[in-house]
Amino acid sequence: MDTSTVNIILQFLHYMFFVYACSAILSYIILSVISGKETIEYLKKNSFVNYKDILSSTMAPSITIIAPAYNESLNVVENVRSLLSNHYVNYSVIIVNDGSKDDSLEKLIEAYDLEKVDYIVNEKIKTKPLRGGVFKSKNPAFEKLMVVDKENGGKADALNTGLNISKTKYVACIDVDCLLLEDALQKMIKPFLEVTDAKVIAAGGVIRIANSCIIRGGKLIDVNLPKNLLVQSQILEYLRAFLLGRMAWSRLNGLLVISGAFGIFDKKIAIEVGGYDTNTVGEDMEIVVRMRRYMEEKNEKYRVSYIPDPLCWTEAPDSYKIFISQRNRWTRGTIETLRKHRKIGFNRNYGSFGLISYPYWLLFERMAPIIETVGILYFVILIILKQVRWEYALSFLVLAYLFSVVFSIVALYSEELTFHQYKKKGTGYKLVLLSALEPFVLHPFILYAAIRGNFDYYFNKKKKWGEMVRKGMSTAEV
Amino acid sequence: MDKKKIVLAEDNSTLSLLLKFRLEKEGFELLMAVDGKEAIELIENHNPDLVLTDIMMPFFSGLEVISHMRNKLEVDTPVIVFSSAGQEEMVLKAFNLGANDFMGKPFSPNELVIRVKRLLS
Amino acid sequence: MMYYQYIIDYYNEFPFLVRLIWIISGILFSIIVLLTIYLKLVRSFLRRKDKEIAKFKDDYEASLIEYLYSGNEQEELSEVQKSIILKLKEEVPFKSKRKIIISILYNLMNEVSGEMSDSIKILYYETGLIDYAISRLSNKNWYIIAKGIGELTRFKIDETHDKVAKFINHPRSEVRKGTQLYLVNMFRFEGLKFLNTLSAPLSEWHQVQLLETLQKFDDQQICDIKPWLKSTNDTVVSFAIKLAQIYNQFEVKDVLIELLSHKAKEIRVSVIEVLTHLYGVEAKDMLKANFNELSLDEQISFFALLEKLVIPTDEPFVEKHLFHKNFEIQLLALNILKSINIDKYMGLTNLPKDEKSPAMLKLVNTI
Repeated sequence: MDTSTVNIILQFLHYMFFVYACSAILSYIILSVISGKETIEYLKKNSFVNYKDILSSTMAPSITIIAPAYNESLNVVENVRSLLSNHYVNYSVIIVNDGSKDDSLEKLIEAYDLEKVDYIVNEKIKTKPLRGGVFKSKNPAFEKLMVVDKENGGKADALNTGLNISKTKYVACIDVDCLLLEDALQKMIKPFLEVTDAKVIAAGGVIRIANSCIIRGGKLIDVNLPKNLLVQSQILEYLRAFLLGRMAWSRLNGLLVISGAFGIFDKKIAIEVGGYDTNTVGEDMEIVVRMRRYMEEKNEKYRVSYIPDPLCWTEAPDSYKIFISQRNRWTRGTIETLRKHRKIGFNRNYGSFGLISYPYWLLFERMAPIIETVGILYFVILIILKQVRWEYALSFLVLAYLFSVVFSIVALYSEELTFHQYKKKGTGYKLVLLSALEPFVLHPFILYAAIRGNFDYYFNKKKKWGEMVRKGMSTAEV
Repeated sequence: MDKKKIVLAEDNSTLSLLLKFRLEKEGFELLMAVDGKEAIELIENHNPDLVLTDIMMPFFSGLEVISHMRNKLEVDTPVIVFSSAGQEEMVLKAFNLGANDFMGKPFSPNELVIRVKRLLS
Repeated sequence: MMYYQYIIDYYNEFPFLVRLIWIISGILFSIIVLLTIYLKLVRSFLRRKDKEIAKFKDDYEASLIEYLYSGNEQEELSEVQKSIILKLKEEVPFKSKRKIIISILYNLMNEVSGEMSDSIKILYYETGLIDYAISRLSNKNWYIIAKGIGELTRFKIDETHDKVAKFINHPRSEVRKGTQLYLVNMFRFEGLKFLNTLSAPLSEWHQVQLLETLQKFDDQQICDIKPWLKSTNDTVVSFAIKLAQIYNQFEVKDVLIELLSHKAKEIRVSVIEVLTHLYGVEAKDMLKANFNELSLDEQISFFALLEKLVIPTDEPFVEKHLFHKNFEIQLLALNILKSINIDKYMGLTNLPKDEKSPAMLKLVNTI
């Protein structure tokens, strides 16, 4: 091959990178604008809504909260108590003890006065069998609680058991250590009840990071910005993703994922599609995609809704090791889901789901780390070959960096104007500073974790969900 | 003559203040709690003559407070619960657990005072 | 100075694209600086406001309580009350203070009844809060109108009936719904007249709110719900069915039975449920005859009805469906059999394993 062909190829590659980067940035801008509009409209619509009527109404639909638990002995009693004190009237809580090897069950039995009851489980979805059985409380004050002890099968399997057992129309799948605010249920159920021209199949909410926040008695007393830079960066990342991204997708009815930490589903449809997939590590994304696909194939109008209010607070990883392992798992989950449902991609039969959502996720979420890494390698090669046009390279890098900072600050700005959770003095500065640091503190590790994820997916089939080991406030994956 | 002690557990601050004012005017000593946990602490430490509690409270509900009093502490201090209307099931549960009286919201503070006096006589 | 010149020369040598990029970068940088400054301003403003609100809240709460307890035996306001009204009247023109006062008043309206809530209402009038609510009705923004209507509803202001009623056909659904709630709050069942001509769908959320409002008033005469059961608007029918259930409308049983052949499945299912509640034995035989044509959901609801209304002559029917393909129905059938013929039920436990239905197999532990 002679130099001119090589040059042409190189030029082409440059253009491709350039086009990719520009379209990525353009898409962020478009999504931010749409998100902004959607949030404003949401706030307007809900500024005069009387939530109190719904919460005290016996006619509000019943919701079952399903919370899988594995070796959560340290905090399980407190977490359950917090779940039981929600202000919604018609709800119950099912704790699925997924074959824990610790004394979670014993602690619960003691704290809540539980006794074993006979319970016929309608196994609409196949799950691992029960172990200790089904328990309910002798004390009427805890009538809402049910604890199910079963053989270990993983989070998806535990959720499926919950789906089998629950008798209500709607289920809320949450992580047992998530703090749910008192009005979370009525705010989340609203889209299901309000939308008349389509069927709402699932609703998701914003996950807020609870590290360093003061939680007493299951109630959020004080919101603090944690000192840990990694956690701070994640807060920023979540704000960007939720306030500037997911709100837009909700409006476009293109949401592909609802956080596994808190989501409400139409139980019938969840069961009809077969429940959660126990063979994937990204079961929260996969079931939403499958439910959407099901509705598309049935050709029925549907929506996946999104609530921007802070309703659920949970702990984020505070050490790089755990963080990387979490992101690794998310990457593998995304790859698995996209591959499993690749029929949808670019398929006109699936409407905007196939033509916009899927391609977007494929190109800008799944492929992004790979393209970025290739870009970096390429850049390094160019440096070695002394082929770099520094005036271009430098200017692009600065531009990319500044864009990232601007997005972060816009996210902070929208947070201030909407939910304003970080009120303390000095937090504003810290967060702005963080916007400048985040590309260095967080992004490289996300990239690394994503590459590891890709590698593990293709070459390391033995990696699974892994046991979650609770150590007090943070989780370590075994 | 010793003032009779009442523990009031209610998380609505305006209502709390209102009831406190009213009951203190009637000559009672009021101990205030904003959630079930505080209520239980006050009950354990001060041994009140009457307990007034809302059902919907953060963390420890009013039902738990009653249950704790009747089953763990084994005291038969009179308890009046109040609750937003429409929760008949809750009311039945409260009575089953050992509550003495129930008032649905919105209620008349005057009537509450009458019932308090009746239970304490 | 020379250094500065050097940079400019260097810059001008760049290709066009690079110069453009630096310009954009410059713009972005200034945006960042501006946003940061603005962010700081917004935050300190919000912080200050929060402190103010907390202080005012305590202040107003104390005033309100004093007001409520300084009434005298006569009808008119006491001196203390009048002075508090005057004080609050001066605060009311300020929007943020008004918001705090209204929320405190509203908090209390929900909790107390009787003379207290009348007193609160008088305060609402005398301080001029009502005028601000009414002025919201003339605002051009729909959400402000909705807020105004909401406020008037909460404080049960019936004088403004005419002003609010005209929003019943407002283009924006939130305003229409707010108006409907207002009317029902003021006139209870009379306020539901809009259902006669409603073509827009009534969402579940709204239905629950309407029902809750109606429930707040005890001892009332429910109006005739038959026209709504026959409405062409399915959501109105659904709402009427809920009313039939809550208010035990035995008199509409025949209309309900007619609805068993309604074209919408959800309506047919909810009719079966309400007939269970109303002891619709006539329906039972009808459904039994048509059982195989029913959809699965209707069949399950029917078995729930059967559970409540079963009589011994239904036994063969129940037996026939012990092996229905749906597990839930199998279970229901078994439970019904247990209640009408315990011996036959016990006999089933002696069947060999391969002749048992899945439900029977599961029940084996609990017999």
